[in-house]
Amino acid sequence: MAMAALRREGRRFAPLISPQPMTAVRSSLISEEQVPLGVRSISTQIVRNRMKSVKNIQKITKAMKMVAASKLRAIQVRAENSRGLWQPFTALLGDTPSVDVKKNVIVTISSDKGLCGGINSTSVKTSKALHKLTSGPDKEAVYVVLGEKAKAQMIRDSKKYIVVSITELQKNPLNYTQVSVVADDILKNVEYDALRIVFNKFQSVVAFLPTTATVLSPEVVEREAESGGRLGELDSYEIEGGDTKSEVLQNLTEFQFSCVMFNAVLENACSEQGARMSAMDSSSRNAGDMLDRLTLTYNRTRQASITTELTEIISGASALEVEFLF
Amino acid sequence: MVIIPATTGQMGVLPGHVPTIAELRPGLLSVHEGNDVTKYFLSSGFAFIHANSVADIIAVEAVQIDRIDPSLVQKGLAEFTQKLSSATTDLEKAEAQIGVDVYSALNFAISG
Repeated sequence: MAMAALRREGRRFAPLISPQPMTAVRSSLISEEQVPLGVRSISTQIVRNRMKSVKNIQKITKAMKMVAASKLRAIQVRAENSRGLWQPFTALLGDTPSVDVKKNVIVTISSDKGLCGGINSTSVKTSKALHKLTSGPDKEAVYVVLGEKAKAQMIRDSKKYIVVSITELQKNPLNYTQVSVVADDILKNVEYDALRIVFNKFQSVVAFLPTTATVLSPEVVEREAESGGRLGELDSYEIEGGDTKSEVLQNLTEFQFSCVMFNAVLENACSEQGARMSAMDSSSRNAGDMLDRLTLTYNRTRQASITTELTEIISGASALEVEFLF
Repeated sequence: MVIIPATTGQMGVLPGHVPTIAELRPGLLSVHEGNDVTKYFLSSGFAFIHANSVADIIAVEAVQIDRIDPSLVQKGLAEFTQKLSSATTDLEKAEAQIGVDVYSALNFAISG
């Protein structure tokens, strides 16, 4: 009788004493019968993978932020120093964005790489607005595009107006020689009365101003000065050097263009790094928030499954106890 | 007072100078402040002298004269003189001539 009771007990307790073979059986059955159980464990797997990838993305964005910050520091000083290069020209010739001439050339400056917030679309938008303002029945406006990103945006709807496009300017650190070669290249390839350079002026790490700088051709400068228009004061200056006044003026405006261009590309590169830094900062923060949410979901699911299993075990055991009492 | 290397010759500028736009050639810029004189070598550029006794000097490169190495100047001068004599096209000739002009101005600035 005792033996029979023991045997009965043994048979009943066997699953509880040795849980190992039991789970083995369960896991082998997952694919065929117990689908809901399987779904639960797979879903935590997916969340875990997602967490891992978000963490990796966060690492990348953090690294990009650091790189942008160190590049920004290097270029910020140069950009701010280069402002001294155009200020004398503005003191002499003034800034004349509203000058009304026949042949307008809009020089759009942008970056080659993306992931830097909205600086490229701002300069494209400003250029397009300027194009609308300066083109009309008896005047025309064309684009000169610097940088891959603005080129990609401009080519969609303004392809026929693009006369020159230059990319990979920032492969080497920017210097005056390189920029003056680019400026020379532009001057050789376009006919202009006014060059309007569109770039993002660096203000602070989080703020940049879309800006236009205007460089007039020597003929327009002379005309305006003689007619006593906007450049009327220029006539009171004595001009030394060169054979004729127009020759000096041509040298002057070409030099002005290269100086303004030099400052513009530096300002734009500086704004680019600043914008990239803040963009990468906010995406690191977003990734962190997302990771927090995913961790919460993951832990909640895990805890829920443990609780369920515990409940199952306890209720199973108590069921046995009840049965045992009878 | 400043002395500017204009293309028309050295130009001394004092307060109240007539408004002028001057092209610069490679040469020596001296800035006199009281008894202190600072000398810079300019490669090229422009000078604007405004009516309100303000002068702007824009130079592509400006180096203090005591930071220039005389032996390198001699070497550069020799190199460009040799280039000038062996130049065949107009472009090469012009480029070599610019080199010679700059280096001889540098040489003159250092020795003077």
